Amino acid sequence: MSALSAQAITMRFGGLVAVQDVSFTVQEHQIYAVIGPNGAGKTTLFNAITGIYEPTAGVVQFFDRVVCLTFSWRSAIRIALTSLACALATVIAVNIQNLWQASIIENYVYAQPFPWSNGLRDLFGALCGLSFASGVLAAILGGLAGGGAALVLWWRSRRTPDLIARAGVARTFQNIRLFNELSLVQNVLVGMDHRMRAGFWSALFRSPRFHAERTRFHAEALELLSFVGLADRSHDAAGSLPYGFRRRLEIARALAGKPRLILLDEPAAGMNHSEIVDLIALIRRVRDAGTTVVLIEHHMRLVMGVSDRILVLQYGRQIAEGTPAEIRANPACVEAYLGTESHG
Amino acid sequence: MRWRPGPIVCILGIAAVLPLIELFLPQPAHVSEAVRGVFLYAILALGLNVVTGYAGLLNLGIAAFMAIGAYAFAILTCEIYPFQIGFWPGLLLTLPVGALAGFLLGAPTLRLRGDYLAIVTLGFGEIVQDVLKNLDVVTKGTQGINPVPAPSLGGTMWTAEDEYKWYYLLLALLIVVILAIRNLERSRLGRAWFSIREDELASRSMGIRVERIKMLAFSAAAAIAAFAGGLSTSVLSSTGEPSNYDFQVSILALCIVIVGGIGSIVGVLVGALVMIGLNSIVLVKATAVLETMGIGGQSNVLLSPNNWKYLIFGLALVLAVRLKPHGLVPPRIERRAT
Repeated sequence: MSALSAQAITMRFGGLVAVQDVSFTVQEHQIYAVIGPNGAGKTTLFNAITGIYEPTAGVVQFFDRVVCLTFSWRSAIRIALTSLACALATVIAVNIQNLWQASIIENYVYAQPFPWSNGLRDLFGALCGLSFASGVLAAILGGLAGGGAALVLWWRSRRTPDLIARAGVARTFQNIRLFNELSLVQNVLVGMDHRMRAGFWSALFRSPRFHAERTRFHAEALELLSFVGLADRSHDAAGSLPYGFRRRLEIARALAGKPRLILLDEPAAGMNHSEIVDLIALIRRVRDAGTTVVLIEHHMRLVMGVSDRILVLQYGRQIAEGTPAEIRANPACVEAYLGTESHG
Repeated sequence: MRWRPGPIVCILGIAAVLPLIELFLPQPAHVSEAVRGVFLYAILALGLNVVTGYAGLLNLGIAAFMAIGAYAFAILTCEIYPFQIGFWPGLLLTLPVGALAGFLLGAPTLRLRGDYLAIVTLGFGEIVQDVLKNLDVVTKGTQGINPVPAPSLGGTMWTAEDEYKWYYLLLALLIVVILAIRNLERSRLGRAWFSIREDELASRSMGIRVERIKMLAFSAAAAIAAFAGGLSTSVLSSTGEPSNYDFQVSILALCIVIVGGIGSIVGVLVGALVMIGLNSIVLVKATAVLETMGIGGQSNVLLSPNNWKYLIFGLALVLAVRLKPHGLVPPRIERRAT
């Protein structure tokens, strides 16, 4: 089974084609690298894969499945109900004075019990007696507006990053995006959020389930922090970490959702030699724990050392794909990216 | 670990014994009556703190939800309407009514951020006031709705003279609100709120359903603000006119949150004490004292401190932002298992 398969991905911003017709397949338990000069479209490709951008063309499949909401009966019913509610709300809002007058004011005599049946009857009568413009027309307009809005909302949320994350695909960012004011544990717990089940009411009333879940996930978060070697700082603010640690925390946060596929965007950027050695070991451990790894990287020793296969991009096009040995032997890649010594 | 009282417990403990001060004062000063406003504004600001402090969504129309809660409560309980469901059911119903109002404002504005959202909420605040003013069939227009019933519990009534009863009722309800908010804050929901405040895209990429989390922030804040509105109506026994819930109230609530410490419950309590204490206790008393000494009052408006209050608020806000940008009591990085 392939963990990730991208078919003919094209990403266009107005006149600029950032990624053109890129296809590749990552097998499960591989470490797969995407390389290319600055501006080659690597991060854009990642963003298109993880749902931050909607690809202009092409199909992305995770584990042989397109992650996308389909138009089901449930969504249809939800849109219809929204439309109906908006229609009703519009009619009531437009005619509130009449309706209130007819049903409440005219039936209520001070300090006497309210005749509810008369009130409801008169409310119904007043609703039936509405003119075309304030009744039917208002309902149609309100219903169209509400239904249209619900439809647009549904359409735009078909393929969002959160849906893809929930499908078991996690990522890190080139420019580290941690939650700086939260502690390390909390950062990791946010990554675990979609595995938690206790909701609003459990939290409000501190149900047994809430406590059980809290204990379990907190222990797991600490475990994950020690996996990446940050256990001793677990309650510090993420913003107080030095650079190399931040990258590791981002990886821990991404791993927290128990992803089957993890995308790392330049994990070694700005790291020194010993940090990179640690990182290579970490990436291997992640792979050995059963997670497929896709990474963007400039650091050649890391790429050639850990990856099973490599994809080379230049100006948004893919110019080669193969094992590290093949890439090293490919003259086009050497010229485009690796560079030759003779140019000095 | 041994239990130690946290700052919230200390503040509430002091509040619980505060009325005893009266025993040592030479003449009745009605301290507990003056502190009511602090409690009400603390509840309102705690609501605002959920949406603005936790989720980072600037809301300039919190007073609108207070108004919605106040009018919903008044219509449901006042004897000139047929519903008359009583104080406690009415007060409880302000929560879903407020939440619904928050949902209705939140739904179309989900994708707005920062300044744009602030403008929309500002506009919403004005619209609600205008609707309440002009929908006089339902809301009695600028007269306001009265009399709104006082609470009663097991045969004891809260009358206007029972200042201690009111004091402890408000204190108890404030504690309930604090507990509820604290429980939400220290849960995955609170964490999700923080995460979208810190970095919306990153939290979305971690699988947080940002729309849902924002809606919950909006609705929870609106529910709490509506609760404060209903409660204030009962304290005053009237909704007052719609302009009692104007932009100034929203800004005062925002000042409390910012001066106190954005995103911190203790901060909001301290902020409410400082700002409302200044507004309705210190300035009022100072004016009265000066007047008895023959200074200020009718003779010279410039010499009565009460007339300077907006200048003082503005100054307090500028000083707070300049000297204590995270507020008097900034939120701490949570060190416990949350």
